[in-house]
Amino acid sequence: MSSGSTKNILSFTEDLLIRVYEKLSSGSDRKSWRLVCREFLRVDLVTQNHLRVLRVEFLPGLLRKYTRLQSLDFSVCPRIDDGTVSMLLPRHGSGSESDSLSWGSWARGLKCLVLSRATGLGFFGLEALVHVCPLLEIVDVSYCCGFGDREAAALSHAAGLRVLKMDKCLNLSDVGLAKIAVRCGRLECLSLKWCMEITDLGIGLLCKKRVDLKSLDISYLKVRNESLHSIASMKKLEVLAMVGCPVVDDFGLQFLENGCPMLQGMDVSRCECVSSSGLISVIKGHSGLRELNASYSFPELCTTFLHCLKGLKHLELIRIDGSRISETSFSVISAHCKSLLEIGLSKCVGVNNMGIMQLVSGCVNLRILNLTCCHSITDAAISAIADSCRNLICLKLESCDMITEKSLYQLSSFCLLLEEIDLTDCHGVNDKGLKYLSSCSGLQCLKLGLCMNISDKGLFNIGSNCPKIHELDLYRCTGIGDESLAAISKGCKNLMKLNLSYCSGITDRGLEYVGHMHELSDLEMRGLEKVTGAGLAAVAAGCKRLSDLDLKHCDKVDDSSFWALACHAKNIRQINLSYCAISDMALCMVMANLTHLQDAKLVHLNNVSVEGFELALRACFVQIKKVKLFAPLSYLLSSEILENLHAKGCKIRWD
Amino acid sequence: MDPNNRLSGNELRNSIPNQTAFSHFNTQHPQKWEDPSLIDYSTRIEPPFQGFNQVKISQDGLGNEMRSTYKIQDWDPSAMLNNLSFLEQKIHQLQELVHLIVGRRMQVLGRPDEFVTQQQQLLNADLTSIIVQLISTAGSLLPSVKSTLPAAPPSVGQFGQLGGAVFPLPGLNGGVQLQNTNGSKVPDQPNQSDISANCVTEQNLNIEEHDLKEEEDADEGENLPPGTYEILQPEKEEILAPHTHFCTICGKGFKRDANLRMHMRGHGDEYKTPAALAKPHKEPSSEPTLIKRYSCPYSGCKRNKDHKKFQPLKTILCVKNHYKRTHCDKSYTCSRCNTKRFSVIADLKTHEKHCGKDKWLCSCGTTFSRKDKLFGHITLFQGHTPAISVEESKALVGPSDQKEGNQGTNKAGSMNFNFPPNATSDSGIQSIMDVKGNTDDPAGIFSPLNFDNFGGFGEFPRPPFDDSESSFAFLLSGSYNYSQKNEADDNSNNLA
Repeated sequence: MSSGSTKNILSFTEDLLIRVYEKLSSGSDRKSWRLVCREFLRVDLVTQNHLRVLRVEFLPGLLRKYTRLQSLDFSVCPRIDDGTVSMLLPRHGSGSESDSLSWGSWARGLKCLVLSRATGLGFFGLEALVHVCPLLEIVDVSYCCGFGDREAAALSHAAGLRVLKMDKCLNLSDVGLAKIAVRCGRLECLSLKWCMEITDLGIGLLCKKRVDLKSLDISYLKVRNESLHSIASMKKLEVLAMVGCPVVDDFGLQFLENGCPMLQGMDVSRCECVSSSGLISVIKGHSGLRELNASYSFPELCTTFLHCLKGLKHLELIRIDGSRISETSFSVISAHCKSLLEIGLSKCVGVNNMGIMQLVSGCVNLRILNLTCCHSITDAAISAIADSCRNLICLKLESCDMITEKSLYQLSSFCLLLEEIDLTDCHGVNDKGLKYLSSCSGLQCLKLGLCMNISDKGLFNIGSNCPKIHELDLYRCTGIGDESLAAISKGCKNLMKLNLSYCSGITDRGLEYVGHMHELSDLEMRGLEKVTGAGLAAVAAGCKRLSDLDLKHCDKVDDSSFWALACHAKNIRQINLSYCAISDMALCMVMANLTHLQDAKLVHLNNVSVEGFELALRACFVQIKKVKLFAPLSYLLSSEILENLHAKGCKIRWD
Repeated sequence: MDPNNRLSGNELRNSIPNQTAFSHFNTQHPQKWEDPSLIDYSTRIEPPFQGFNQVKISQDGLGNEMRSTYKIQDWDPSAMLNNLSFLEQKIHQLQELVHLIVGRRMQVLGRPDEFVTQQQQLLNADLTSIIVQLISTAGSLLPSVKSTLPAAPPSVGQFGQLGGAVFPLPGLNGGVQLQNTNGSKVPDQPNQSDISANCVTEQNLNIEEHDLKEEEDADEGENLPPGTYEILQPEKEEILAPHTHFCTICGKGFKRDANLRMHMRGHGDEYKTPAALAKPHKEPSSEPTLIKRYSCPYSGCKRNKDHKKFQPLKTILCVKNHYKRTHCDKSYTCSRCNTKRFSVIADLKTHEKHCGKDKWLCSCGTTFSRKDKLFGHITLFQGHTPAISVEESKALVGPSDQKEGNQGTNKAGSMNFNFPPNATSDSGIQSIMDVKGNTDDPAGIFSPLNFDNFGGFGEFPRPPFDDSESSFAFLLSGSYNYSQKNEADDNSNNLA
């Protein structure tokens, strides 16, 4: 870089630099920016307001530097616990004053706190966090399975809370919910999915106290119709999700007919006792409904239901997965629901070419179409879709095995905006088809699992023409070899997820190409018989961002590569080592050195002794969240280590 | 209801009413309503009241001075004005009081509970009196409203209603006096069926919730004007006697007449006849029996007939329970909680049914035996939240205590140590930072003793049960002492 140009860029005022900086979208771009010079780093420090932390050891430093932080995400950080939290908090009393001044400042402006899966965090840590962040608006504590009423009470001190996710806080009962309902006066969105202890009483109180709630998720709760009666009294509710409520029936839904005047979105999928008559009453009362998800709720779409659908002029999304549907239904939908953007027909019985043709003749704005397991559709239907729905973004055709390369030709000719296509188990897809498909240059997600007829030639086209791909699924594509990976690693620099499981043609050379995919974070490579340690070592050394690695049944991978893994792949959060030939020593190395490992599957490790497991678990117990072990080990491992794991909030699955 | 049975002889000082006047009032022959004075009553305003009051008073045998207060008839605007300005003053006073409380709350963050409850009681009392006066003032307008109604002969029920509505009327000449006359009954009898009293009922529910419980054996449903009933006053000994029915032969005592009859069979065949065993029937008397009401023998008690605001008790059982509850030692202690004491054994039994199990607590300190009752309470009151029960929070605080402190759990416990279990975020932070250094004595930190310092975990009735606003404030101000008092001190030493 010449001195002249340096002068130019530094002569920009700070607000201009900030503007430039804000154009950067991806994390890696921002990282490069930070590394340019001090000035750029400063711009980054004052502009960045969101932080997603992986390594807790850097947290104090980061928090001191980023003074404008509004959002803090601990969801990928396994080591967040009371001790860590206490370290970050401003201290009163004897501590040096100047220090405490700089400490607390990060918390003052914080609005969003993501603590999803922070199972190590306890009540006191959470309470302390809530107390130091006065402006907190959004909190996510989903999947903190141990959380209950006390934690809810702690959260309720955040009086400005607007959005709260408590999915799977298993100990949460009505008492805790009441705390939140009473104290958090500005609450708008609340998710209580899988909070199994909640009853009608809690929901009733919530509805009375928080009449301004806009979004409520009571999925999988064992609430009865009384709850819906109370929910019906909420004047501002816009979205109601009640997936899999086993006790609620049509009488409950009838309460909603005259309640919730603002309702726009409704999810009643997997409610066993709900039939179309209940849904009809909901639809009758809410002609402004935009989203309706009724998957797996009723076996057949009856004519009265279809008749009611006519009233929904604004319907944008409908999912009726798993029900029986007739051709006439499609004509009704296409005639009346003109603004439909997404339709889900996964596993619907009765979907055929005629039906689809009728559907797309009216719903020309469709963006997302899910035809998973609609076995009887053929190229004719896909041609009609491609011809009518030019704005199609996502098309799921899993197991539609009648379609051939002609469909792909049509799609690639007309649907140029296509970003995601699922062709899993479509035997008609071949190299020619992929060549056609590759002209959809915006493709981001491509699933080709079980497509036996594709080879390196087809994937070469994808690799060279689709640079935006970030997810590629090649599960059991036995026809492909190392050349495919060469093309993909060369062309698809943004690839983040790759599935190579059981692609038996892949060797170490292929994995060396994988090693050049620097953005790769998820790699599934089960059962690669020809791959040895060298291949894995190349991946470990190259893919610095790797966080999820599945090595099940990689029999020939030896210890040397595990050492490499332990040395290089520092960001790994999930690993599956089942059926690998790993030794005691290597396992200990892997488990101890991968300091961010949260989930490990360790079954059928024939070369590992009980002592090896014991040591490995001891080495990782600080950060591990979930571990799958061979069942007999439950008697062989010491109770001490098991208790330690349990106390840390780690779940052990015995296989 | 045989008076001979209950009121054994001379012990009862009955104020025997004028029988004829009473029957005249009570028999309710339809033609009675044809009586010119009563027809007058529905068309004109004043005279019927006069008449009404006179009837009452003559039955009553009350003093003449009472009569004179009752005789004020006209709606008097100046009196009304007086009344209103008095009310205004009173409300201002109240406002000052509340201001004072607010100011005081800022200062004494440390122990808000006693002070505030005391003030609350004061406030409640004042509010109640204001409400009473308001109603009486408003009630004075009622007759003029009534007068516009068509003159139909009022039914008996209506008459009763009017009696209720009209009763406060004498208070016209001043709100304060009203307290001393019958009008003062209004706030205490929530079930009155007239319009004005309905609002009283609502207010009562909010303000005098605790009072209601005490009044439960009162004759809430009725508003008998004094003198329309016979007052019986059993003696203390009679009330406290374990038995009320005695065998005339052997002298054995029984609580129930039926038991006595069963016992009598042993004294001879003549007692075994169906007639002797049958429940003694009340003779169907041709003349209507007088309504009986009971007075508590304890002088100075509100239930004593000499009390200014006397409220009669409905049955002899009410007297017994009232006397035991209010004027006797609470000698029955609950064997489960060892804290609750009762003087009536039935109360103890009722309590024991619920004691210990399902304690549903509100942050205000109120306890409920049922969850839905608690949630109903929380729905009604702004800012109240359910409190997390003692057992639960203890269990959560000290998980390592429960799992027998072997080595493994000691380590596990150390992770919780950073915050002492007093739920104070601030004092907790002092003693943090050290994750490993304090494994030596987890039990000390988690011991329930610490809760004593915290206050509120131990006993239910104290308002800042776990985390109400006030308790939070309390923690902010005075929490540092806490961590210096106990072992948490060691931790902060470790830090340095």
